[in-house]
Amino acid sequence: MSTQLPASRPFKVSFPHMGNYSIPVRLLAEQLECEIVLPPKMTRRTLEVGARHSPEFVCIPFKYNLGNYIEALEKGANLLIQAGGGCRFGYYGEVQEAILRDLGYDFGMVRLLGGWKLRDHIGDFKRVNPRLTMLRALKAYKLALRQTQALDRIEDYVRRNAGFEVQDGAFEEVHEAFLGELDTARDMRTMAEIESRYLGELEAIPTERPDDLLRIGIVGELYVLMEPFSNLFVEKELAKRGVEVHRFVTVSNMVEHSGRKHTAHLDELIAKSGDYVRYHLGADGTESVSMTYQLMQQGFDGVLHLKPFGCMPEVNAMASLQRLSREHTFPILFISYDAQTSETGLKTRLDAFCDMLRMRKQRPGDAAMADGAETLAPGAERSTA
Amino acid sequence: MHATVGLPRSLLFHKYHVLWETFFGALDVETVTSPQSNRAILARGIELAVDETCVPVKLFLGHVDALRDKADYILVPRIVTLAKDETACVKFLGAYDVARNSVPGIRLLEYNVDVKNGIRQRPELCRVGETFEPNRRKVRRAYDHAASEHLRYTARLDEQQEEVLARPGMKVLVVGHAYNLYDEMLGKPIVDFLGKNGVEVVSSEFHDTAKARTLAKLVSKDIPWTYNKELLGALESYRERVDGIIFLVTFPCGPDSLMTELCMRRVKGTPSIMLVLDELQSEAGLRTRLESFIDLIEAGKRRAAVDGAR
Repeated sequence: MSTQLPASRPFKVSFPHMGNYSIPVRLLAEQLECEIVLPPKMTRRTLEVGARHSPEFVCIPFKYNLGNYIEALEKGANLLIQAGGGCRFGYYGEVQEAILRDLGYDFGMVRLLGGWKLRDHIGDFKRVNPRLTMLRALKAYKLALRQTQALDRIEDYVRRNAGFEVQDGAFEEVHEAFLGELDTARDMRTMAEIESRYLGELEAIPTERPDDLLRIGIVGELYVLMEPFSNLFVEKELAKRGVEVHRFVTVSNMVEHSGRKHTAHLDELIAKSGDYVRYHLGADGTESVSMTYQLMQQGFDGVLHLKPFGCMPEVNAMASLQRLSREHTFPILFISYDAQTSETGLKTRLDAFCDMLRMRKQRPGDAAMADGAETLAPGAERSTA
Repeated sequence: MHATVGLPRSLLFHKYHVLWETFFGALDVETVTSPQSNRAILARGIELAVDETCVPVKLFLGHVDALRDKADYILVPRIVTLAKDETACVKFLGAYDVARNSVPGIRLLEYNVDVKNGIRQRPELCRVGETFEPNRRKVRRAYDHAASEHLRYTARLDEQQEEVLARPGMKVLVVGHAYNLYDEMLGKPIVDFLGKNGVEVVSSEFHDTAKARTLAKLVSKDIPWTYNKELLGALESYRERVDGIIFLVTFPCGPDSLMTELCMRRVKGTPSIMLVLDELQSEAGLRTRLESFIDLIEAGKRRAAVDGAR
């Protein structure tokens, strides 16, 4: 338990952004019965202020989180929440708190450590809202989880289909309307109703799917996967290039495989990794390798591997992925994000990657295949040299 | 038939070499250690590693490759947790798979330590020993002997450290992982340079792990990494007795970047600098920084002496 309450009242709670998950997190935060101050929408400034006050080569989610906190404090928030998790994330809170205090902000912080179990955190929340009961927290948790599932299902459908819309922006329009309605839903039935209604609306959008469409899976580190601003909207960019995009790291999936089921899940991933992993690599590393191997077997055209610069679990995974790519001539595009990553550079690489995948499809057996994989996976050929 | 086991002179070698050498020695297994880090080893490591890998892992891969045709097996431990509620840096989780996938044509021997999940060092290392010695009791005896030698060795290191601290003259604490501090290419030039300039070097090696964990809490409540806790333990127990602190960090180390950030903000009163080492470092640049750091400490001491005389 790690909670320090702010000196000033009333409490104004805030938390960092990650994709559209501020919707279910807001539902949870409402149980604290205080005003919620969402950080402003992410902009370049978020990253700039975050990076300015962060250690130089800490991974980029730290910088975004810190930027969110600073912008939320500027908006009047005085109680920040940082959730723990695997890897470095678990240690973010303490360092961020020290940085923000040195900057002179007056605030409190709830640092949730040691996994996702509600039982372990209820004490922290009760200090903010003494009226909170375990029963009520549990109910809210279940609702938030349902909301998260609706969000993930709809966004999964959008990812797979938005690339083929006849009219530009049709999917985005429905998606935005869905987010607005979901944000106000506060009971199970409404959430289910919104989900199925919008799924119907999405299915009704006219699309044109070409015969030779590209199917690409996205794997990697969870934050850059789930926060589109941080990955420079890579999924939308792929959709613009007529790609069916698949992603498996979502909060619903993480919750499903957390706690007691975690070890079994890892064992299964390792068993299905084609011997490219024998021991868990840390955080999402094992999943990145295993999913890539499985997608290759399912006939996907290629995989995008995303990570923050220097992310060690994913660097571990890259050793396996580069060998896999080399041995099976399977195209993998590796993208690292730091504060300097440019949108133009990303677009150029995506263009080249998609062109190469199309060439492979049109001329199977062509030597261009191997060459393409090699240039796009720098380092992949090295260990045979 | 005499099998040989290769020990890469990198990462955990600098912590556990006495344990490993004694253990295999007691089983009549010859050990071959890779040479001190040099330019060729680093160059080969850079070639084998993913670009963004930290320098110590690049060196590690270079050392593994250097043993390729020199030993029948190469020992690579996989360390996850050494105690509940803490974890090793992620590179130690992946070291085995990374070496296996990056260096062609090698045969690895691995042992896995994950105390939180009930996998302990003794049975795991004994399993490795049984590759060479079918008599299980003999293997267990070899392990117990090696473990006590290891403890004796680390206790002696702690004693030596106290001797250094008792000496007069300028003392500087170098906070850095053993695999950086004792590496010929990374920490060694710095330690040597300090020594040549008349500075006593106190290393952050701290082997009383229980005490280290308690002391670490004074600086950082939440820090999860075992070996960083040891560094913080050393920092807390030595910092009042030294004249300056150097944080030695390799690029782009995640745990150290966060830990050092916190230390620089919380440890006040003793002059400190952070040195970041990468594979492209220039010695001249490092020397300039070290020289000015020493000057700064001396100036501070002179000022303190003048103030004291008043």
